[in-house]
Amino acid sequence: MPYWYYDKKDLLNTPSFRDGILNEAENRYRKEGARFIIDTGSKMDLGYNTVATGVVYFHRFYMFHSFRTFPRYITACCCLFLAGKVEETPKKCKDIIKVAKSLLTEQKFGIFGEDPKEEVMTLERILLQTIKFDLQVEHPYGYLLKYAKCLKGDKAKLQKMVQMAWTFVNDSLCTTLCLQWEPEVIAVALMFLAGKLSKFDVVDWNGRIPKHNAWWDMFVEDITMELLEDICHQVLDLYSPQTQQTGSDSPPNQPPAKQPKNEKKPSVTPPTSASPIAVVSKPVLTPIKNGADIKIEPPKVDMRFSYPAYPPLYPPMYNAPPPAIPAPRLPIPPGPPIIPYSEPPPANRFPPVNVPPPNYYAGMPARPLPPRGPIPPGPPPPRPYYPPP
Amino acid sequence: MSSSSTSPPSLNSIGDVNALFQTAKKYEELNVIGTGAYGTVYKARDLHNGGQIVAMKKVKVALTEDGIPLSTLREIALLRQLEAYRHPNIVRLLDVCHGGQSLERDQQLVLFLVFEHVEQDLESYLKRAPGPLSENRIRSMSYDILSGVDFLHSHRIVHRDLKPHNLLVTSSGRVKLADFGLAKTYDTEMKLTSVVVTLWYRPPEVLLGVSYNTAVDVWSSGCVLAQLHTRAPLLAGSCDSEQLHCIFRLIGRPAKHEWPQNVSIVVDSFPDYPPQDLADILPRVHPQALDLIKGMLVFDPAKRLTALDCLEHPYFTDHAPH
Ligand SMILES: Nc1ncnc2c1ncn2[C@@H]1O[C@H](COP(=O)(O)OP(=O)(O)OP(=O)(O)O)[C@@H](O)[C@H]1O
Repeated sequence: MPYWYYDKKDLLNTPSFRDGILNEAENRYRKEGARFIIDTGSKMDLGYNTVATGVVYFHRFYMFHSFRTFPRYITACCCLFLAGKVEETPKKCKDIIKVAKSLLTEQKFGIFGEDPKEEVMTLERILLQTIKFDLQVEHPYGYLLKYAKCLKGDKAKLQKMVQMAWTFVNDSLCTTLCLQWEPEVIAVALMFLAGKLSKFDVVDWNGRIPKHNAWWDMFVEDITMELLEDICHQVLDLYSPQTQQTGSDSPPNQPPAKQPKNEKKPSVTPPTSASPIAVVSKPVLTPIKNGADIKIEPPKVDMRFSYPAYPPLYPPMYNAPPPAIPAPRLPIPPGPPIIPYSEPPPANRFPPVNVPPPNYYAGMPARPLPPRGPIPPGPPPPRPYYPPP
Repeated sequence: MSSSSTSPPSLNSIGDVNALFQTAKKYEELNVIGTGAYGTVYKARDLHNGGQIVAMKKVKVALTEDGIPLSTLREIALLRQLEAYRHPNIVRLLDVCHGGQSLERDQQLVLFLVFEHVEQDLESYLKRAPGPLSENRIRSMSYDILSGVDFLHSHRIVHRDLKPHNLLVTSSGRVKLADFGLAKTYDTEMKLTSVVVTLWYRPPEVLLGVSYNTAVDVWSSGCVLAQLHTRAPLLAGSCDSEQLHCIFRLIGRPAKHEWPQNVSIVVDSFPDYPPQDLADILPRVHPQALDLIKGMLVFDPAKRLTALDCLEHPYFTDHAPH
């Protein structure tokens, strides 16, 4: 089975990096590609699941290919196109291209060539091969709602916290967090962050047992404070101005062979303000330096005022508040879901974090199911079966 | 492929996209294991994994104006997702890739589904068995089949085509289900007319052409379970109508009120067969096994046991291992 999680050092030594693209530039390309998928998706009324799936495909794709070989906006269109089909919210390729054209400058759209549709369609097969047909992707949204339902406290404050966490999850798509951690872990971390920022102190929760020190112990075992904070910082760094001004506008398209490495690094130019997807460089949250006293404090600005400053970053779809708690509109498409249980197993990496088998098969009769992940040799199978005589 | 001289090189100008992946080089085809109605299964060597022997199913998918059909992508996504459970009675899906050559010309994509290679299928296993299987072996194989079916059903997958040919038997005698989950992909494709599709495991609702659900797999499993005891097919009809005659001769012609609506064949076109005693057809079979099979071969799909019911039948629970 394909394995989609990477160490930090793997994330530095990517195909793009080996192709002479600086990490900072790559991060910007990833961010722009992700944002472009979000913008295109929301303009086409695609739901957050489809958009998020497209973005995850995008990040995975560039763990195998260089931004120099595959221009990010074409890949982005293709990822959204494929995610639309997989999530059963299909959009015609030509319609996606139409929206892309409206969002990109003429110069940027030029990369799509004379036959943009053929370009995207050709890439579909490459994309499928690259992501190894591993099409079903889970996102933190569902976990966020599920976890929130268990927390006790002031309803309005809880609601506000979830809403903020939801926004952080949206923004986390612009980072490589989905290449580092399972959606459960990201959901916990960003709810933790939202709790801090909205001053919602969770003191009690349903299902609390003495060995739980914090609410998240119930959902993800052995998650450390260091990890939580590391994840929060990766999202908060998005709002820091320093991370936004590196890398050439588009990587040179010549085959790398003609270009000896380290001789001609991508030029560092500030992003052009003409870009319709220009990022807002105004910092909203004070970036917290790594290594400094890692206490996450609410920003000096009142959150209610700082959030409205975001909209250029947040597409309309995300302005909609997340489903209400405690009776959420679950992020499940209307009608009987085709896939009742969407639960890929966590990979057995990083021993410290162990996601317990959740019991979220709500709505279905409780039935024993195999445990997540490879069935270990030790524990008994879900139901007895006869060993070969 | 057009490539403009002014704009940057387009993807289409990356001459051989396949060279980027070398799928063809990943697996070395050894020989054909079998050809089904919808695809060919090859024995192959996984060159990236120490030459491990795998079973590779080649399926041709017709491309639409918008590329690979949604239904095929959905089905593959689900198969991949199921694989995460590593159910002991489901054949392992190791890899999915595509061949991709001459796509533009043919408007079709060759998909490769790479499975673990399993020694033999139940058909050849039963053929090769020197004599009747032991009671324990039959019970264990029956349980394996039903566990696999129940697993699929709990994920809303209907196998639709359970038969000894699609049930694989490992060297340690475990049974694993194969060849499921691509029904819609198959449907969009031209069937090879030369391949005869066996009707022996088809339930009456499928033969009558009315809507069906997971209960079809319970019927098919019932036929297979009976076959484990006798090593011969239980209901061996040679055409749709003869298959129905075989079924009614065994379970009796259904009453008028049980006959589904909107069926072109009327119930009176069949003689009023009385039900037979399963014990006469399956002599020396444990009464609990007979009771289970009887509950699986019920005309009305709604009254048939479910796979989970079957697993909880005393035939299994009274004889738990150890
Ligand atoms: N993983 C596997 N290992 C070994 N043999 C296999 C494997 N999967 C399938 N086979 C064998 O390959 C042959 C063809 O299988 P396939 O599923 O294509 O065809 P089928 O069941 O005859 O056809 P249909 O598609 O009409 O159901 C069968 O004999 C089957 O037992």
